[in-house]
Amino acid sequence: MNKPRVWLRPASALLAGLVFFLPIYLVLVNVFKDGSAIVSNPVGVPIPPTLDNIQGVLSRPDHLFWYGLVNSTEVTAISIIIITVISAMLGHFLARSTGVLAKVAMVALLCGLMVPPAVILTPLTDVLRALGLMSTVPGLILAYVGYYMPFGVFVFAGFVKTIPRELEEAAAIDGAGAFRVFWQVVFPLMRPASASVLIFLGVWIWNDFLNPLIILGPAAGTTVTVGIYRSIGEHQADFGSVFAFMFLATLPILVFYLAFQKQFVKGLTGGATKG
Amino acid sequence: MDLKRSPRSLRRARSRDGLTRFAVFAAPGLLVYLALVLVPIGITTAYSFTNKNPFNPPTHWVGLDNLTSLVSDDEFRKALWNTIIITGIVTIVTNAGGLAIAMLLDRRGWLYNMLRSVFFVPVVLSAVVVSVIWQTILVDDGLLNSKLRQLGMSDPPGWLSNPDLALYTVSWVIAWQGIGFCVVIYLAGLQGIPQELHEAAAIDGCGPMMRFRHVTWPMLAPAVTINTVMSLIGGFKAYDQVQVLTNGGPGPGTTSTLAFQVVQTAFNGNHVGYASAMAVVMLVLVAAVSVIALGLLQKREVSS
Repeated sequence: MNKPRVWLRPASALLAGLVFFLPIYLVLVNVFKDGSAIVSNPVGVPIPPTLDNIQGVLSRPDHLFWYGLVNSTEVTAISIIIITVISAMLGHFLARSTGVLAKVAMVALLCGLMVPPAVILTPLTDVLRALGLMSTVPGLILAYVGYYMPFGVFVFAGFVKTIPRELEEAAAIDGAGAFRVFWQVVFPLMRPASASVLIFLGVWIWNDFLNPLIILGPAAGTTVTVGIYRSIGEHQADFGSVFAFMFLATLPILVFYLAFQKQFVKGLTGGATKG
Repeated sequence: MDLKRSPRSLRRARSRDGLTRFAVFAAPGLLVYLALVLVPIGITTAYSFTNKNPFNPPTHWVGLDNLTSLVSDDEFRKALWNTIIITGIVTIVTNAGGLAIAMLLDRRGWLYNMLRSVFFVPVVLSAVVVSVIWQTILVDDGLLNSKLRQLGMSDPPGWLSNPDLALYTVSWVIAWQGIGFCVVIYLAGLQGIPQELHEAAAIDGCGPMMRFRHVTWPMLAPAVTINTVMSLIGGFKAYDQVQVLTNGGPGPGTTSTLAFQVVQTAFNGNHVGYASAMAVVMLVLVAAVSVIALGLLQKREVSS
C-alpha cells in the first residue's frame, strides 16, 4: 500500500528544487555561450563553452569590474572587521552592565535594527559631507559601521549570556585588566558569534546597492554590485556580458559564504530554536 | 585609618576604572551609531518641517504642511499602497512556501542536504543580481514569453510592462529571494520538535492534518515570529528590485515603493524637506508594524 509513496517525497523535493533553481541555471549556462547561442538556445548546455564573455568583462577599457572589485573588497573587509571588533566590545559591555543608562542604550540600538536605509540616507550624506567623507570609500565604511552596529551588538550581547561571568572574574582576580580579560578570555569564547556577524555583514555589505550608489556616487568609482547596474544600462541586449559580470561579481562573496557556510546557518538558526 | 579610607578611594578608583572601561569598550560603538544613525534620524525629522531644497534656497519652516500635502499626494498614496501589497505578498509567500519546502526537506540524506543549499543560494545573492536574472526572463520578449509563444500562446502577458501585473511580478521576485531564509529557519524549528510528540499524537488517533495543526504549528511559533517580522521589515525596505526591474513604472509610479519614492524625491527631485516627511511616516509605520507583529506573535508563542 505504502510502496508508491516512497519516491513521492524525493521526487517532489527534486522537482521543486529544479524549478526553483532554473533562473540561476540560466545565468550559469549562458555565461559560457556567445550572443547568438544565447538567443537561439537559452536553456541548452554550453558545448563547447566559451570564455569570451568573461574575458570581455575582465578587459573592459573602463575597468568597471576591476575598480569595482577593489572597492567592494576594501569596503567589505574593512567594514566587517571594524564592526565585529567595536560591536563585540559594546555588546559585551552592555550585556554585563546593570545600569539604567545601559538599558536605554540597548533599546536605542535595537530600534536601529528596523530603520530602512532610505529613511536616513539624505541626512547621512549631510553628516558625511560635514566630516569631509562624502563620495569616499572611508565615508561608505563609516556609514556601514554605524548602520550595522545594532546587528553586531544584538548578536554579541545575546551570546555573552552563554559565557559564565565567573570566568571573567577569575581572570580579573589573577590580575588581568579589563582590556586583557576581554581580548584574551571573552573574545576568543565568542568565536561563533563573531563568525555569524562577519559572514552576515560580509554578504549584506558586498551585495548592498543603494548606499554605494548614493554615497560613492560616480566620482569615486563604484562597487561591483553597482557596477552590475551600470553595465545593464549600457548594453541591454548583450546578455552574455551582463551575465558574465554578475557571475564574476558574485563569485568572491559566494566563495566567502561557502567557506563559512556552517557558521552562517548555525548563526541563523541559533536564535530561532532558542525560542 | 586605612580601613576607613580605603572603601572611598576604592570606590573612586572603581568609578575611574568604570569611566575608562566605558571610554574604551562602549564609547566608539555608541558614538558612531549616534553620529550616523540617530543624528540622521533627528535631521530627517527636522527637515520634514521645512521646504528644504538644496537647489532652491532659502529653507524655511513650513510646520505640518509637508504632512498635510502627503495625505492628498496621489503618488505617495500609491507608493504606500504598493508597499503594503508587496510586504503582504512577500510575507505570505515566503512563510507559506518556506514552511511547505521545509516540511518537504525535513529528512536526512544527501539529496535533502543539497536541496537545502539550492533554496538558500538566492539569499546570498545581491538583490541586483536576482532582479537582473528575473528581468531577462520576464521582459516582453524574454525567455518565459518566447517559451510561451512556442507553446502556442499568441499574446503572453507583459509581466513587467503591464501596469496591472508589474507590482505582483516585483513582489514575486522579492519573495523568491527571501524563501530560502524562511526554509532554513523553519527546518531548524521542525528539527527542534521532539519525535515523541508526533508519536503520542499519532497514538491518540491524530491524522497528518491534525498532527500539523496541534503539534507542528504551535511548536513552530518562534520560527513563525522570526520569519514574519523579518519578511515585514524586508518588504517595507524594498528598493533595489524596484529600481532594477521597473524603475517605478510602467507608467507613473505603478510599482514605486515608499523607499523608492523617498530616494527619488530627495535625490532626483531635490525636494529634501518633502522626502523627509515621507521618510518620517515610513519610519513610524515600520516601527508600529514591527512592534504590533512582534507583540501578537510572541503572545501566541507563550500561550501555545
